[in-house]
Amino acid sequence: MNVVRDYALPLILAVGLHAGVVGLLMQNWQGTTDSDESVMPILRVDIVEIAQPKSRPAPPKVELPPPKPQTAPAKPPPKPPPKPAAQPVPQPDREAERREREQRERERRLRELQEQSTNRVLDEELYDLQEGADQGETMSYVAGIYSAIVAEWSRPPSARNDMQARFRVDLLPSGDLKSLTLLESSGNAAFDRSAEAAVRKVRRFKVPSGKLFEDKFRRFTLLFKPEDLLR
Amino acid sequence: MTEPMSVLELVRNASFLVQAVMVILVLASVASWVMIFQRWFELNRVQREIDDFEEEFWSGIDLANLKAELDERPEDQTGIESLFAAGFGEYRRLAGQGADPDAVLQFVQRAMRVALTHEEERLGRHLPFLATVGSTSPYVGLFGTVWGIMNAFRNVATMTQATLAAVAPGISEALVATAMGLFAAIPAVIGYNRFSSRVEALMKRYEAFADELTSILHRDAVTA
Repeated sequence: MNVVRDYALPLILAVGLHAGVVGLLMQNWQGTTDSDESVMPILRVDIVEIAQPKSRPAPPKVELPPPKPQTAPAKPPPKPPPKPAAQPVPQPDREAERREREQRERERRLRELQEQSTNRVLDEELYDLQEGADQGETMSYVAGIYSAIVAEWSRPPSARNDMQARFRVDLLPSGDLKSLTLLESSGNAAFDRSAEAAVRKVRRFKVPSGKLFEDKFRRFTLLFKPEDLLR
Repeated sequence: MTEPMSVLELVRNASFLVQAVMVILVLASVASWVMIFQRWFELNRVQREIDDFEEEFWSGIDLANLKAELDERPEDQTGIESLFAAGFGEYRRLAGQGADPDAVLQFVQRAMRVALTHEEERLGRHLPFLATVGSTSPYVGLFGTVWGIMNAFRNVATMTQATLAAVAPGISEALVATAMGLFAAIPAVIGYNRFSSRVEALMKRYEAFADELTSILHRDAVTA
């Protein structure tokens, strides 16, 4: 009797306190973790260019890639137009213009980061080349190659957002890597090496067979460009 | 992992041993808070009792009357009242027999010392429990964490591709055990320190009262 009188109130208080703490903890905890979801790191590997329709006469056309870089880094096809158009006209406040452009650029990048899987952008040329049905198929293989490389790619600490390295990839019909050539260095040896290592680690890519392989996947160009680093 | 992680989720996914550790810690925490609240009320009550009794004692009341008043309710004589009852009862029993005052006083002191010891034991009850919770629950929590992290890394060893995302949930749920250990230990340590110093202060007051009562009884014995 005495024991009940002495301990009932403390027991109620103690249990109530713990229940309160648990409740509070669960509410707060959920609030903080949700916000982190959108900042999944995304490495950018663009399969920017697919070899020309015929695979054999490719060598002479290797000369072609150089012109392409200008249009190809162009995962933002809309971006190049604004630049030349905007600069000559409003000369007085180029500073404001530039800031606005940066702002737009940042928003664009954020949007891209959020739509992770849909963000590999193909060269416009690619769209022209394949009208119709096998475009979807090509896209799915491209997506597979992209994710295989991204999974293996670990960037060096010296990587920066504006770096980009371009590689030419030659595959065997089995999907095995035949050769890998550095077309355009990022200027940072460690970065180039990390990209090269990523491709070599994948070793065998999943590729279609037959004509689609000959058309698109025997030789293509990879653009490595980290865009999710917030520096 | 797209669903938001809640603490509940973490606890549910933890391994059996870690869950057992968590249950032990929650029980220890609840128990130590029960003790904290109970001691808190109890020590406040004792403090009030001492204040009231001393006020009555020094109000000039006849000690025999005070004793008679206490004897009317013998079942809840606690604290300072039982101290007084022990000392004064012993004095009255011996003083009537014409014994030597010094010998009588020795008996009185001894009786009060016994009562003091009882009171000290009563005041300090549960404090060892608080001390135990305070000093061991961090270790218990740490044990759960180490075990959980061990398992998390062992699972990673079997994966072909070790990513942070594979280890992170395991470590996070293991760390919940440490958090719980600290959550149980901190109030227990604070409670223990606070209450043991209060018990000491109360004991000082008991001892001072016992000395005063002894000197009053001594004077009474010599003048009688």
